Amino acid sequence: MEELKVGLENETTQFIVVRLGEEQYGINIKYVDNIVRMQHITRVPKVQEYLRGVINLRGEVIPVMSIRVKMDLELDEYSKATRIIILKLEQQGNIGIIVDEVKEVVTLDNSQIEKVAYDSKEERENFIFAIGKYGDGGLISLLDLNMVVLDKENV
Amino acid sequence: MDVSQYLEIFLDETKEHLQSLNTEILNLEQDPENSDTINEIFRAAHSLKGMAGTMGYKRMQALTHDMENVFSEVRNGTIKVKGNMIDILFKCLDALEEYLNAIQASGDEGTNDNAPLIKLLNEVLESKGSGSEAAPKAEKHQDVSGDSVPKQVVVHEITFDETQKRVLNEALRQGKNVYGITVKVQETCILKAARAFLVFKSLEALGEIIVSDPPVQDIEDERFDLEFSLVFISDSPLSRVVDAVKHVSEIEDVQGSVVDRQKLVYVSDGDNMDVELPMASDKNGSMEAVSAERQAVLQTAGGTKTAEKKTQASKPVVNRTVRVDIEKLDVLMNLVSELIIAKNSLVSASGGERGNSSGFNEQIEYLESVTTNLHESVMKVRMVPIESVVNKFPRMIRDLSKKLDKKMELYMSGEETELDRTVVDEIGDPLMHLLRNAADHGLETAQIRKESGKPAIGSIFLDAYQDGNNVVIEVRDDGAGINTEMVKNKAVSRGIITVDQGENMSEQEIMNLLFHAGFSTADVVSDVSGRGVGLDVVKSKIEALSGEVEVKSKPGIGSTWTIRLPLTLAIIQALMVDVGGEKYAVSLGSIQTIEDISPSEIKTVQNKEVIHLRGIVIPLIRLSGVLDVTSKKSPEDNMTVVIVKKGSRMAGLVVDELMGQQEIVIKSLGRYITKCKVISGATILGDGEVALILDTNALF
Repeated sequence: MEELKVGLENETTQFIVVRLGEEQYGINIKYVDNIVRMQHITRVPKVQEYLRGVINLRGEVIPVMSIRVKMDLELDEYSKATRIIILKLEQQGNIGIIVDEVKEVVTLDNSQIEKVAYDSKEERENFIFAIGKYGDGGLISLLDLNMVVLDKENV
Repeated sequence: MDVSQYLEIFLDETKEHLQSLNTEILNLEQDPENSDTINEIFRAAHSLKGMAGTMGYKRMQALTHDMENVFSEVRNGTIKVKGNMIDILFKCLDALEEYLNAIQASGDEGTNDNAPLIKLLNEVLESKGSGSEAAPKAEKHQDVSGDSVPKQVVVHEITFDETQKRVLNEALRQGKNVYGITVKVQETCILKAARAFLVFKSLEALGEIIVSDPPVQDIEDERFDLEFSLVFISDSPLSRVVDAVKHVSEIEDVQGSVVDRQKLVYVSDGDNMDVELPMASDKNGSMEAVSAERQAVLQTAGGTKTAEKKTQASKPVVNRTVRVDIEKLDVLMNLVSELIIAKNSLVSASGGERGNSSGFNEQIEYLESVTTNLHESVMKVRMVPIESVVNKFPRMIRDLSKKLDKKMELYMSGEETELDRTVVDEIGDPLMHLLRNAADHGLETAQIRKESGKPAIGSIFLDAYQDGNNVVIEVRDDGAGINTEMVKNKAVSRGIITVDQGENMSEQEIMNLLFHAGFSTADVVSDVSGRGVGLDVVKSKIEALSGEVEVKSKPGIGSTWTIRLPLTLAIIQALMVDVGGEKYAVSLGSIQTIEDISPSEIKTVQNKEVIHLRGIVIPLIRLSGVLDVTSKKSPEDNMTVVIVKKGSRMAGLVVDELMGQQEIVIKSLGRYITKCKVISGATILGDGEVALILDTNALF
């Protein structure tokens, strides 16, 4: 019995740690289909500002959004480290999000994930469902991807 | 074995049979004495019954059984076809269709017994003259006598293994019947394996199949000629077993015989095996089952066969179709798409190094012709005639005619016109809406028609034909036409337009209001049409198929609804244009001409820029403005204007530069980008870049 309990507590989730500005964010690895280098994005006119356009990923046309614009941060500056993370979501299909840098993959167990329960007025914080603690006091904000890609204007 | 793998075949075939029943019963109404029609109906009903039965849909089987009884009496001439009966039969077909829909949706036929319908059918049956009773009985009698003729021993040489021997012996000891059965499938049967499966299934309901020749696996894989034999243990009498097999359609002949203990013993004796002591011998695992007198049986069977062949000869030739899973075709289509992308990249590679050897260009030209041909042939595979959709309309018009109490006739032409399968599947509902509209709103009542000097019977026309890269479907009626004044008033009262707007609108513009959501001119909402959801649904559905719909009408003469659909959806010829440094594709189908216009030719009308071109005033649309980019050209430069049309209207799109014509593969922008109305999709260019496809229809 004792062993079983331990097993439950130690249930682990893997997160990809990405950098947006100065902050670290975590994306649950099970939603990640692919990580590709920054490439030419074809602009689509007349859409929400955070939708940067579409890219060609091996013959598929995939929309790309800027998570920075969505979070009301300053516009992306593309550098050598900039990556597009292709998310595979059930409802919306594949969507790319632009991040400043992909750092590493961390494995967190349940004890290292602290849920944030408050309902903040500030929109930015609604994109985060928990805080992850790892290593020596490192903190990452774990992204609630459904909120990130949610299109409020269409709801 | 599992029935579900045959469910699709069942659904398809049932639909076909229902359709042919619908058509033939309509014919029967016109020509009640035509024996060909009656035979065809009987055949379809019989197949339906058999199929429903073997698939285990008992309610469906019960209903078709009673229908078949009625048809049988009609065929024998004991019941005369009457209007009332036709109505009942149509109701039965509707009920069958309901079963079918339920099966399609849930795999189950539902719980509706349709008892009232069955009662009506039986009343029809009872209404026949008393003298007629003899006919069906005689037929039945024949059937029975056919079975009772001592047909024997038709089982081929079948080899049993040890366990099978044991089972056989055990069964015999328990006093069960062992039968040898040989089934012959009709030569015209396409899915022999499916039929064999249905035979197996119906037999399994009655007992146990011990062994078959050829083996089950071979039968499943259709590795048999026309006959297969099996040894079967059952409690039921032989006649029931044979009947069960006969219920499977497309079975030409069934021969059954009882394998009794003596025979088994006798035969097995030769193999040194004692039935009483089944465990004793296992030296030779083979045992010859009953093959004596085969010759004699074949001869007796020969007699019945020729009789059957005669009845078959009068059967009309059925269209042979190959059913292809649309998913497989989609894969093929995607492959072609890839090929075109590869070709495009070759083209752009050759453009980079000018002065290359001509051989390279030849290769490209060759590749181009190959891909074009491949594209065309794949498209052709996907094309189906619209017949499958429009076939149900005569029946619908007949029902409407009764319901609305208006006399009308539907004339159809061009049913053989072919369209992409996906389009054909979608076009049914819009067409139905338009036809209902024509019947309900378009045609006047017989009295009004007479007063205005028209024939009492209204006419509705459904014409389909190919026009270049489009298919045109017209729904036309000779009714009263559209009362634009009434439409205008209605639009004003519904708040769709203001009174002032109404004053300035042309007749055509007013008619286009009919496609506005929530517009219905019928003062009384009927269940035929008039819920106000019809025409805007028609419009949006057709636009979703990249088509367009137009209406023209003359008061007192009638209205014409024209649907224009593209032949293909996935790959189009497009003109690539440059707007502010971005590449866009414009479908070649919508382009009329391309003009070079100097800025001085631009006039303004009502604050809008227009050009005057060969007698037509065409509004200008600056794409840089629509697409939120800055044009690279200075205002003094001559402008390149692409003239596009939508229906009868035209517009000039101002672009920066033309980049040439290209075959492009349409890709969806996905579910996430929905806000952009002017872009209908995207395509991938030879260099891997994504270019957007302009929806010129949305610019008007």
